[in-house]
Amino acid sequence: MDQTALFVVQGLNALALSALLLFIALGLTLVFGIMRIVNFAHGAVYMLGAYVGATAGQATGSFWLAIPAAAVAAALLGWLFERLAFRPLYGREGTAFLLVTFGLALCLTEAIRLTWGADARRLEPPEFLGGVVFVLDEPFPSYRLFLIAAGIVAAGGLWLVLHRTRLGLLIRAVSQNPAMAGALGVDVRLLRGAVFAIGCGLAGAGGVLAVPLITAYVGMGASVVIDAFVVVMIGGMGSFVGTVAGSALVAATQTFGNFYLPEMALGITYALMIVVLLLRPGGLFGEEE
Amino acid sequence: MSRLPWLAGIAALAAAPIALAGFHLGLLTEVLILGLFAMSLDLQLGYARMVSFGHAGPYGVGAFAAALLMAKAGWPLPCALAGAVAITAVVAVPVGWLCCRAGGVAFAMLTLAFAQLAYAVAYKWQSLTGGSDGLAGVPRVAGPFGLELFTGRVGYYALTVALVGSALLAARAFVASPMGRALVAVRENEARAEALGFDPRRLRLAAFVLSNALAGLAGALYAGHVLFVSPELLLWTVSGHVLVMVILGGTGTLFGPFLGAAAFLMLEHEVSALTESWALILGFIFIVTVIVMPEGMWGLGARLLRGARRPPAVEPRHAAP
Repeated sequence: MDQTALFVVQGLNALALSALLLFIALGLTLVFGIMRIVNFAHGAVYMLGAYVGATAGQATGSFWLAIPAAAVAAALLGWLFERLAFRPLYGREGTAFLLVTFGLALCLTEAIRLTWGADARRLEPPEFLGGVVFVLDEPFPSYRLFLIAAGIVAAGGLWLVLHRTRLGLLIRAVSQNPAMAGALGVDVRLLRGAVFAIGCGLAGAGGVLAVPLITAYVGMGASVVIDAFVVVMIGGMGSFVGTVAGSALVAATQTFGNFYLPEMALGITYALMIVVLLLRPGGLFGEEE
Repeated sequence: MSRLPWLAGIAALAAAPIALAGFHLGLLTEVLILGLFAMSLDLQLGYARMVSFGHAGPYGVGAFAAALLMAKAGWPLPCALAGAVAITAVVAVPVGWLCCRAGGVAFAMLTLAFAQLAYAVAYKWQSLTGGSDGLAGVPRVAGPFGLELFTGRVGYYALTVALVGSALLAARAFVASPMGRALVAVRENEARAEALGFDPRRLRLAAFVLSNALAGLAGALYAGHVLFVSPELLLWTVSGHVLVMVILGGTGTLFGPFLGAAAFLMLEHEVSALTESWALILGFIFIVTVIVMPEGMWGLGARLLRGARRPPAVEPRHAAP
């Protein structure tokens, strides 16, 4: 097999993985940037998106309906949880939120297990994405190319919302100085709920997009949320550019690590994070606390 | 605290082997071990507000160290326990040095990453750790000087009581020491403590190493108790569960975590007998505890007993330099 082609294919695999990571990490970093909350339940929300999407896709027979169904279900859950569990906690230190979301992760994982059972759920992509395309004469699944495109659309869309719309302006204002934004008439509570819902919705969409690759199974959330934490820590908590760079870096490390050093791959990602934080405690694009 | 509750506690623990049947004595041993694990986290969480999300790391390292020292090196039980504590403490120094550079959420994430790294190593290093199967049939190796005293069920219970008790006393002494008071000062107002000449990072590192060493002891005791270790011990859910125990019991109290561990195990046994989905109920209880009862069971009990409005767990006093 041609070495260049192999390298290119692995690079594309890394990009597809980084697109999936991006859906989860963007939500994490958005919620952290605006609300200073680390959402430990983010992986469980991603899993919820996967199951809801798989079920909706099977019921309607349409992959394109599964994505909004998953995103809306996840966003609704986030909105509800913000109202019920976060509101009494504003003003307490950040760790209280970390603990509450850990409780949510426990509950949600178990609720999903009870609702859908232990069997994995599948979802087929639409027919024209089910095949392969040839990259330098090597076959490459076209669904993964679609994932790369979806990742670009999600990141670009979020960037446009944050920087080119009034909602984004208000969100950024609240992240800079919530008290001042509130004094100027911004409904800070409503905005926080909206941000948390958007973050969860992104995770839900990421979940359903992952199903054709890895199926929906209990435990898929736990493995991905740690990777997403690593992405966000490497890029810098709350930094948009950092999250994009971090997901590319982590995906590349994992993909090439799995290929060239399969024994070490699991550890290399964590080692990478430790090295980055040693050199830049705030992450590559973050500010030091 | 008066002497009476202490004497009552010691008497109850001494009477337990007579009163309890084998299974329940084993359960009590487990409560004590998990209580020690939770208490060690409380040293960081309650007294320095360092929320470690990777406390499974030192616990698992201690467990694997003790198991390997007994199973592969043939060390006697007490030596293996001491060796495991030493290994955990030595590992904790560079890890803590790195983690204590960060504060708050970043500290939580860093500790999590280190625990996951340890998990990855334990999972992949099959020749040493048995990989995903773990190591079964860890022996409690008796020593040459009649140390087989500790290898039976009652003897192991007695050893656990003695070691957990000593660890509790050591932790209390640390918290009451000038260093412990300085740590609380840093927690309450870092800038002011720094202006007084304290070095927050070094204080945090000291708390981290002591906390990890005690977690390593808990892990080692656990390995000797169930005679089985696997990478599951290092998984992030273990770190989460021990956090639940500390929060349930009450942070910054040292005793509360024992209460939390007992409540946690009881919940697990009782609820899992009723329904398969005990994690759902546990998660719900946990969420409610964090929101409405931030001082935990011990703190709530102390408040009700004293009838005071809201006494802080550790009275803010000026720390002696």
